[in-house]
Amino acid sequence: MSITEKILCTKTHEYILKNDDDTYTIGLTDYAVEQLGDIVFLELPEIGTTFSKGDSFAAVESVKAASEIYMPISGEIIDVNTALVETPETLNEDVYEKGWLVKIKSTGDSSEQDDLLEYEDYKEEVE
Amino acid sequence: MVVKQTILHDKHVKLGAKMVDFAGWHMPVQYISIVDEHNTVRNGVGLFDVSHMGEVFISGKDSLEFLQRIVPQDISKLEYEKAVYCQLPNENGGVLDDLIIYKLGINYYLIICNASGVEGDVNWMAINAKGFDVKIDNQSHNYSLLAVQGPKADELLRTMGLDTVQDSFTIKSAKILDRKMYVSRTGYTGEDGYELLVENKYAEELWDNILEYGKPFGIKPIGLGARDTLRLEAALPLYGNDLDMDTTPVEAGLSWSLPRDKKEDYNGKSVIMDQLANGGKKKIIGIKMLDKNIARHEYEVYFNGEKAGHITSGGISPVLGCNIAMAYVKNIKEICTGSIVQVMIREKLHDAEVIKRPFINKRNKVRN
Repeated sequence: MSITEKILCTKTHEYILKNDDDTYTIGLTDYAVEQLGDIVFLELPEIGTTFSKGDSFAAVESVKAASEIYMPISGEIIDVNTALVETPETLNEDVYEKGWLVKIKSTGDSSEQDDLLEYEDYKEEVE
Repeated sequence: MVVKQTILHDKHVKLGAKMVDFAGWHMPVQYISIVDEHNTVRNGVGLFDVSHMGEVFISGKDSLEFLQRIVPQDISKLEYEKAVYCQLPNENGGVLDDLIIYKLGINYYLIICNASGVEGDVNWMAINAKGFDVKIDNQSHNYSLLAVQGPKADELLRTMGLDTVQDSFTIKSAKILDRKMYVSRTGYTGEDGYELLVENKYAEELWDNILEYGKPFGIKPIGLGARDTLRLEAALPLYGNDLDMDTTPVEAGLSWSLPRDKKEDYNGKSVIMDQLANGGKKKIIGIKMLDKNIARHEYEVYFNGEKAGHITSGGISPVLGCNIAMAYVKNIKEICTGSIVQVMIREKLHDAEVIKRPFINKRNKVRN
């Protein structure tokens, strides 16, 4: 199963990936990164911070513009990809393996995922 | 409003460019990568379609007197086949547009202005033409403008048969691959280079030929994204960001372009002359961010804990490897080169150092 078959996406271009230990990895979709162009800056939250679904929790900037990144579901930040902050251009190459943003422990209800889209549907929606 | 397309529009789409609306035109913002395109122009040569820009020809026996009336620059000193950077001020000295005026002959001038400005400029000129024997001929729809920019631009155009000898800020009617056009050694990148003004019917063939002849030079098409980062490093103002109706050329840091001894009256002269002597209400500064954050258009600037102004243009500098910006701040002497100011970014203040403009050394000297 390819990674895009395992993720769920928001219309604001974030994805979540459920890990084996029931935590979630959050990142930006490849489509989002392609639209942004050369990524030059990334700001990520601190471990331990909690956010509600829809909150802005991080920021990304390309040469062209600054964009906020929103929580696809509610959760507490349990891990942050600090290496990516040093080399945000990595996002232009890979948004999953090296380009994930944060890992969270979900604090909301599973119904929060009802409005998330499977990758194929997301692509259809945004393109 | 219908979004306009240049003659080369379909070529950009075919090249895979990301297209955006800019000043009423559907233009390529990038082909592959803004940073790569930026570096291509700094180190080699790049090709821009800037056909959205306006071309207005001025003729008639009062051409000189008319131009003297509408710009602060002394057009009587502009020699044949030379170009001068000008502003179009209103009565209060506020800038309606910035432009380049070329002298093509006796009583014959070309004005190249911003795409966003053409219509307003032509109206303004018509109002100001009262009493002058002058013809204002907006030919923007008949011409395409291609910019060939970078240290290898001259060599490339030589291989295409260009045989003129041209200093920076000169224009000649010349032939490239036996096609006649206006060849101007100007640009908006801070690099050496040319702008080629060609009739629309020859634009596609010229675009294709430049890309073909440019292959050995590593030429690439360059979008508006890199045009913006290139001009920012060179601290060249962008109308709408760094220049507007509420800003005088003095406040915009363009005093170098303003003669002190021009005899003729022109729109805004009293304000501009007063500000040349006493300074403006605000001043433009260049800053370098001291962390990795990027200052962008309209972000607030603070000095000593108080709001002091706002960013006009900001972004990355691929050459310097840091983030740079231009800002308008209160005209106080305490804010000077070396001062630390703060930029409000996502509700937090980030330190920046005031540094000299242009951000990169002058590179656009003619390299024959």
